[in-house]
Amino acid sequence: MKTWKRLLAAVLMTFWFVSVSEAAQPPVSLMLQPDNSNPAAPMMGDHLRFWSTITNTGSSTIDGLVAWISLVEIDPGNEQPVDLEDWSAQKAVTGARLRPGAHLMTAWPMRLIKGGDYRVVVSVTDRGGRQVYTSPTIQFHVRQKPVLQVGRVLPVAAGIPVFFIGMMVFTRRRRRRA
Amino acid sequence: MNPILTIARNESTQMLMSRRGLAWLLTFSGLLSAFSVLLVSNTELSLLDNAQVLYMMTGTVLAAGALVAAILGSDAYAGEKERGTLIPLLCAPIAPDALLAGKAIGLLAAWGVMFMTSIPYLWAVGASGQNLGAAVCYLALFGTPVVLGFGYLAMAVSSRTGSVITSLLTTITLLMLAASPLLIGPGLRGTAIGRALDAINPLAGALNTFDSVIIDSDPFTAQTTRLILVAVWLVIGLLAARRSASQPVFQ
Repeated sequence: MKTWKRLLAAVLMTFWFVSVSEAAQPPVSLMLQPDNSNPAAPMMGDHLRFWSTITNTGSSTIDGLVAWISLVEIDPGNEQPVDLEDWSAQKAVTGARLRPGAHLMTAWPMRLIKGGDYRVVVSVTDRGGRQVYTSPTIQFHVRQKPVLQVGRVLPVAAGIPVFFIGMMVFTRRRRRRA
Repeated sequence: MNPILTIARNESTQMLMSRRGLAWLLTFSGLLSAFSVLLVSNTELSLLDNAQVLYMMTGTVLAAGALVAAILGSDAYAGEKERGTLIPLLCAPIAPDALLAGKAIGLLAAWGVMFMTSIPYLWAVGASGQNLGAAVCYLALFGTPVVLGFGYLAMAVSSRTGSVITSLLTTITLLMLAASPLLIGPGLRGTAIGRALDAINPLAGALNTFDSVIIDSDPFTAQTTRLILVAVWLVIGLLAARRSASQPVFQ
């Protein structure tokens, strides 16, 4: 009798474990890869491109799929999400439909605006589901580039008005003499 | 001497060699200097790369040019009337079109000096970045018709109303309306009304071209629609100015 009880418990446990594993299996898989043409040591002003592949691994069609890219600055003491306004015009893919087994490949171009260490990730959700799934992250470093050179701007900013002041003085003196 | 050239020389001299003209050029250079120093000194702006700074500078030069065109155009006929020199000018053997052409060339000379003044500033902020040459070329190509168009429009209102103040208020209000897409932000510009405004607005067309060429490095072929827009704007302004200037209000 004891043996039968143990056997029943083992069967029930196995059934429960399989059910839980099935339920925990995400219905989408996400991959994120850098483009082959991305510079090895990117600098401010360079362009990077990432490719995401979203695959429907579930058994039902995903409707109203929304995928978006996020960028996080991870410089020590300056950890913060980055507003992509200046970085990228392609921030999201919306309303896509994905049949079981189908995949959606998306390019995410990006222009590097500021130097520092960054981590990029693509997230996805759908109309019906309540879950958000994220891709593996890619980390990269953007080298600083001097944007404006003080040594070039200041002489021009001071010199041109001084030139016009000189012109005014010259014109005034010439008129007085005349 | 050709009457057109005589008028153009008088207008240019008044604008560029007079105390008033030099004071304006000093103010204009002061504006660009303050803008450049602000860009250098503000650490927050390190977010911008050279291309964006260059784009902002070209936009500022264009806006200042359009403002000067509005002022000079408003003064062109109504100013002559208020100074009591319009009737002698109309009695002189000068065709209305020649008078208009002379004033337009004077305006072009003022814009030309502003353009030349802005080149060192553009070089200072954009030499270490991309598309400096393209920025200068497109500022000339798109800026000139936009500025001249505003000048013609101001001349049309000036000769029609005979009042410098009325003409100035009207033209500057129109200029602000043209600049409004820049103030309302990219979100609202993306709406149907925002896009429609952009499609007929020559100032927005020129600024979108600067954005496209300087920041995105787009080719000339991508700018043809906007070039047609600013050319149409210039022709409309010219026709309006010709029509009004043929019978200016002088009483």
